[in-house]
Amino acid sequence: MKATSTRSILATCLPAAAAILVFGTLYGAAARAIMGVPLTLASSLLIFSGALQFALLALLSAGATMLPLVLIAVVLNLRHLVLGAVLRPRLEGSRLRRAALAFFLVDETFGFAVAAGHAAERAGVPAGAAIERTFLISGVVCYLAWLVGTLIGVLGVGLAGVERVAGAIFPVLFIGLASLAVTRRSHAVRALAAALLTAGIAFAMPDLRVLAPVVAAVLVALPVGER
Amino acid sequence: MSALVLGIIAAITYGSRAASLALLPRAGARFEAILARMPAPIFAGLATATLLTGDRALVDGPILWAALGALLLSPTRSLLFCLIGGAAGYALGTLAGG
Repeated sequence: MKATSTRSILATCLPAAAAILVFGTLYGAAARAIMGVPLTLASSLLIFSGALQFALLALLSAGATMLPLVLIAVVLNLRHLVLGAVLRPRLEGSRLRRAALAFFLVDETFGFAVAAGHAAERAGVPAGAAIERTFLISGVVCYLAWLVGTLIGVLGVGLAGVERVAGAIFPVLFIGLASLAVTRRSHAVRALAAALLTAGIAFAMPDLRVLAPVVAAVLVALPVGER
Repeated sequence: MSALVLGIIAAITYGSRAASLALLPRAGARFEAILARMPAPIFAGLATATLLTGDRALVDGPILWAALGALLLSPTRSLLFCLIGGAAGYALGTLAGG
């Protein structure tokens, strides 16, 4: 099976999409009571960010007004700047094309796209097309999973029983993606350092847990002499 | 939350995604070298973050076992094997009552 065939991309991203669907269901069920059905559906349709949407929900349930909601959106979205900057040199399409693709930039699609680039490089084929194709297909699949999950939750169908299983998919997925991205010993050392730093930041400032991986990655990626 | 606030937050979110991917100029060579080193640390950090809860605690035992299973098979550098390792770890953790 060709590494960037639609079938192989789907096979790679479907476990994550299934987990996203479950979390979408939980979001839909929780948000319906706080935001109402139209805004719950619109939020998933327009925002497509589980971390941010759950954070908004927590603030709304605590009675937050506009300013804290906007501030949390700014803070949590900061990581997109870094993810986009990492992906930017690997995408070959026009600015308009990249602007359209940008909507699908989430942690998981970023991971699938970068991994596809590494696989293409190892296979000796152009990485740009593989990255763009993987980014688009995995983005659409994850987006649809989030929307369908939200809709199921809004309709009141509970999937709480599989929440624990879904929760196990993300660490496993990210460990797998990290292993694909490690091509040199120095990468492994930096990855380990980032994991430790992330844990430290998350323990010291639990509210910034979502930002911690990007902050840690930036710190360990800074040059300290070629290794 | 009003439709206006939702619209503002959606615009901020999309803007943050499009800014570096489509709007800002491509980074210089030195900065790109730094960016090229970031994927593995980002994924390692994300994996770590998903193993921690918001109240400074670790997630449930089976999820930790799943992560351990994936970690043990990570030298294979295969997403499929990591998923298999994760599933096996989760099953073991559940059986062990973790």
